[in-house]
Amino acid sequence: MTSIALENNDYKKEIKQKTAKPLLWIGLMSIVMFFAGLTSAVIVSKGTAVWETIQIPSAFAISTVFILLSSLTFYLGERSLKSNQLAKAKLFILATLLLGLLFTVTQYLAWTDLYKNGVVWAGSESSAAGSYFYALTALHLLHLLGGLISLLVVNFKSIKEKYNAENLLGVQLSSTYWHFLTALWVYLYLFLIFIA
Amino acid sequence: MSATHHHHEEQDFLFKYIFSQDHKMISKQFLITGFLMGFIGMVMSTLFRLQLGFPGESFWAIDFFLGSWAENGVMAPDKYLALVTMHGTIMVFFLLTAGLSGTFSNLLIPLQIGARDMASGFLNMLSYWFFFVSTIIMLISLGVEGGSASAGWTIYPPLSALPQAIPGSGLGMTLWLVAMAIFIASSLLGSLNYIVTILNLRTKGMTMTRLPLTIWAFLVTAILGVLSFPVLLSAALLLIFDRSFGTSFYLSDIYIGGQVLEHSGGSPILFEHLFWFLGHPEVYIVLLPALGITSEIVSTMSRKPIFGYRAMVTSILAIAFLSVIVWGHHMFVTGMNPFLGAVFTFTTLLIAIPSAVKVFNYITTLWKGNIIFSPAMLFSIGLVSTFISGGVTGLILGDSALDINIHDTYFVVGHFHIVMGLSAIFGMFAGVYHWFPKMFGRMMNNTIGFFHFWITIVCAYGVFFPMHFLGLAGVPRRYYTNSEFPLFDNMIDINELVTWFAIVAAFAQLLFVFNFFYSALRGPRSSQNPWRANSLEWTAPVEHIHGNWPGEIPEVHRWAYDYSKVDENGEYVSGEDFISQVVPLGPNEKDGGH
Amino acid sequence: MVALVAIVAVLLIVISAVQTLKIAELWAINKGKVIYEVTKKQNKTQALLMLVFLVAYFAFFAWQVWKWGDLMLPVSASEHGVITDRLLNITYAFIIPVFVITHIFLFWFAYKYAYNSNRKAVFFSHSNKLELIWTIIPSIALTVLILFGLSSWNEIMTPVDSEKEHVLIEVQAQQFSWNARYAGTDGKLGRAGVEFIEGVNAMGVDIKDENSKDDKIVRGEIHLPVGVPVQFVFRSIDVIHSAYMPHFRAQMNCVPGVKTQFNFVPTITTEDMKKITNNEDFNYILLCNKICGAAHYNMQMDIIVESKEDYEKWLAEQKQFAEN
Ligand code: HEM
Ligand SMILES: [Cu+2]
Ligand SMILES: [Cu+2]
Repeated sequence: MTSIALENNDYKKEIKQKTAKPLLWIGLMSIVMFFAGLTSAVIVSKGTAVWETIQIPSAFAISTVFILLSSLTFYLGERSLKSNQLAKAKLFILATLLLGLLFTVTQYLAWTDLYKNGVVWAGSESSAAGSYFYALTALHLLHLLGGLISLLVVNFKSIKEKYNAENLLGVQLSSTYWHFLTALWVYLYLFLIFIA
Repeated sequence: MSATHHHHEEQDFLFKYIFSQDHKMISKQFLITGFLMGFIGMVMSTLFRLQLGFPGESFWAIDFFLGSWAENGVMAPDKYLALVTMHGTIMVFFLLTAGLSGTFSNLLIPLQIGARDMASGFLNMLSYWFFFVSTIIMLISLGVEGGSASAGWTIYPPLSALPQAIPGSGLGMTLWLVAMAIFIASSLLGSLNYIVTILNLRTKGMTMTRLPLTIWAFLVTAILGVLSFPVLLSAALLLIFDRSFGTSFYLSDIYIGGQVLEHSGGSPILFEHLFWFLGHPEVYIVLLPALGITSEIVSTMSRKPIFGYRAMVTSILAIAFLSVIVWGHHMFVTGMNPFLGAVFTFTTLLIAIPSAVKVFNYITTLWKGNIIFSPAMLFSIGLVSTFISGGVTGLILGDSALDINIHDTYFVVGHFHIVMGLSAIFGMFAGVYHWFPKMFGRMMNNTIGFFHFWITIVCAYGVFFPMHFLGLAGVPRRYYTNSEFPLFDNMIDINELVTWFAIVAAFAQLLFVFNFFYSALRGPRSSQNPWRANSLEWTAPVEHIHGNWPGEIPEVHRWAYDYSKVDENGEYVSGEDFISQVVPLGPNEKDGGH
Repeated sequence: MVALVAIVAVLLIVISAVQTLKIAELWAINKGKVIYEVTKKQNKTQALLMLVFLVAYFAFFAWQVWKWGDLMLPVSASEHGVITDRLLNITYAFIIPVFVITHIFLFWFAYKYAYNSNRKAVFFSHSNKLELIWTIIPSIALTVLILFGLSSWNEIMTPVDSEKEHVLIEVQAQQFSWNARYAGTDGKLGRAGVEFIEGVNAMGVDIKDENSKDDKIVRGEIHLPVGVPVQFVFRSIDVIHSAYMPHFRAQMNCVPGVKTQFNFVPTITTEDMKKITNNEDFNYILLCNKICGAAHYNMQMDIIVESKEDYEKWLAEQKQFAEN
């Protein structure tokens, strides 16, 4: 088999530069549709069934703060990379990971709170409203898990100083996804307030 | 020394044929897997047609294929439903979504836009292997306790949620859901790639308005997939929660098997909304690629530009846009708000307009052409016929007042098989006949192709046209037999006739199978541009190479439809009746058929 | 053994087919043909077949109408059905000509413009005028269909005015049978729900509800008075079913957890319909039209339409719920 440009590393890089971001963006579009499906399901359900009122745990508010902060640090990290301040970047990116983990913890706390208030996920005691609460937040967290994994990789590479102003595609992809998750969470949080 | 060499070759083989990241190989993998599934789906339909044509009679074939699903050669009623469900699922998703889009998007997108490969070969490979795993799981589900999913391809809960309601809703349904979740992942990965490749990797000069209609169709199909499959995934997830974890998204007030279930507060109608939000666009995900493929073929084989290129593109866009706001026409009799029903009637009937435009444009393309009847062209003309024949009955079904009486009857089965099933299958056959030389470097046999086409179209109408009459007589679909109603006693003749046609149709497909394998292995070698076509794929060498073109990727200077273009003296501009897209425009020439 | 013979036979057939094809191709190559090109002769045959198919297709269509036309549903036995049947006929009057004309053009052009090396195809790539015409004409036709359709639809879906004389019937679906409950003298249906199902109380009617006492539960068949609006309320206790009454052009899904409704005015008694259809055994039926399980194909109930007097006599014979 004759092989041409495809084997050529420069060419590969060029294609990646050109397509990685659009690929991610369209992937995000499908995630948007996924949550659009779920949240419109909530609206349909709310219109037809008896709807239980739910006390929103304050931990959700705290996690909102954490994730917003994490987006900020990621943004600052990326900016430091762009100006080649690698040491600063390392710190910011590490902070992002930690804040992401804190978000996860507070989500867990919020669930235990919900559970204590008698909101259960399934079974005869459950209500549609409660199940949606758990389902929406858990599915968001599942997507966030992907974000955390990418953050781990980014952290690893940034510590080894693989990134700099010329080479930061990986960071950009990860941060786009992360900001998206932040926006998604804010949307879901407002939505939860609306349906509670 | 020689041992390592050997090892290297083995690896080469593995990456060339199995875990290939080359779009041409992945395309063939999709084709073969899709056709295999389609064949299984067809055998299923022939078996349940036997039951419908000759209810209660014992058949060797049923005994042989169904084993424990059939006692003494007569299938059990719930296994009839299992077969119908798997048939529908396989045909719609595995053959006509993955099989059709997977094959031709993969083959043609890089070749027709002038790219070396897909944006991400890795994701592309992943897309195929997800699809493969999904087929395996779906096939395994045929053998599990209780049988495969049996709630219809639309898997409406509560039927699909409660094993007490039908045995297939046990493990079989779980596997169905798992398989479909993986399938959706595969489809999304594919679509991502198609969209990004088309938008970002076109060769120099390949503007959007110079894209062949195939590419437009694949692009819009992929966008529809990205928008609607995630919603199906969300619907399926909630169903999985209800089935396996005891939530109540879709279930409420149920008494079954002598006891009241714990579920309360859910709504089965919610599932229908979510399902059809995918379900209807899915129809066009199946159909649009077929329309794109045949537009290309009709133009090439008529030696004429496609009539109304811009109108064709606009129609594709309009159809796609409308297709996401019509899902309610599947739910007119669910007790939905009548006003909503009226809105859905309106949007549904609107789709007729762009569809009609497409039909007229096809026909006008034939007018004063110079038509070569290759098998691909025959199937393309066949598609126009089925698209009309099935499309006009859509005006009846889409009208809520009329749908009340024919919803879920055989009229629907006739309608969607003709307009979606046959059209898409014809488009797929047309594509295979036409691009076979591009895939395998060899040509298919025309004579067998002719027989294949004529037997298929005759039998296809023989199977599906009479179903409209059954429906107008009030015969419901998804019935194991019509013999329980004196009202339907007279229908047995129709059912028998339909079954005979179905059997002949099924056997006729063996002609195609034979032709396919014979030609792939033994067929005459093709020249570089056997159809004397304009589009870019025919400028690539016959032999498959990684990267598609040996040197630079050619630059594009004109649209793909300059067939039979003449100058002021009435002579062909290029001396031939076609001008490849890579030929620069002459001094007085205008592009795009102006 | 049989299997072995079968496999060998299939193999032999395939091998001989391969050989025949190979020989035929060599033969053609020998005669100097590019064997995969569609020959002139083949092209002519295919063009001719286009015409043959056109005629055969229409003939098949006509044959079916002639042969099976009588098997279709008889005249509508409900008021609104007469209107929708007319709408259906109007739609036919539109789509059948479209179907015929487009097919004639399609196959006629295919036949007429078969390849001819002495001719050049016409480079005709677009025409705004033509395209405008065939966007506008369907739009106008569709507008008519939509307007007519929607006005019928709104009328059909409007529930019966509860002040007017009418019959109120609740139909409950379950795997795989139908139950029905008449509202009784008070014209009101008592409360019901799956939690009340017990023993003979298969419909789960709440005994404590005052409105339940005079309700009448019937099985096997329901009776309707001719000329009086009937308001149906549908329920299901297990999966989705669909109450389909084809002779009345009526259908509504029965959904667990939701009450749905449909109404119509029966216009032809069972006796009269027997005469119309020339069938002594004719009976109106209610059948299930949504996949609901293994015996979905056999879930039916008879409907008897009779004069008001007969209907009232029959209803008087039915037991009240409280008597059970
Ligand atoms: C070999 C040719 C085929 C035959 C004889 C055939 C026959 C049938 C019949 C008779 C039914 C209705 C069964 C019932 O409602 O009880 C059916 C259902 C169905 N068929 Fe086919 N079919 C064929 C090919 C296809 C193709 C190409 C498609 C692709 C769109 C397809 C898609 C479906 C679907 C979606 C259903 C509905 C399944 C359901 O009710 O859940 N079929 N088929
Ligand atoms: Cu639809
Ligand atoms: Cu039923």
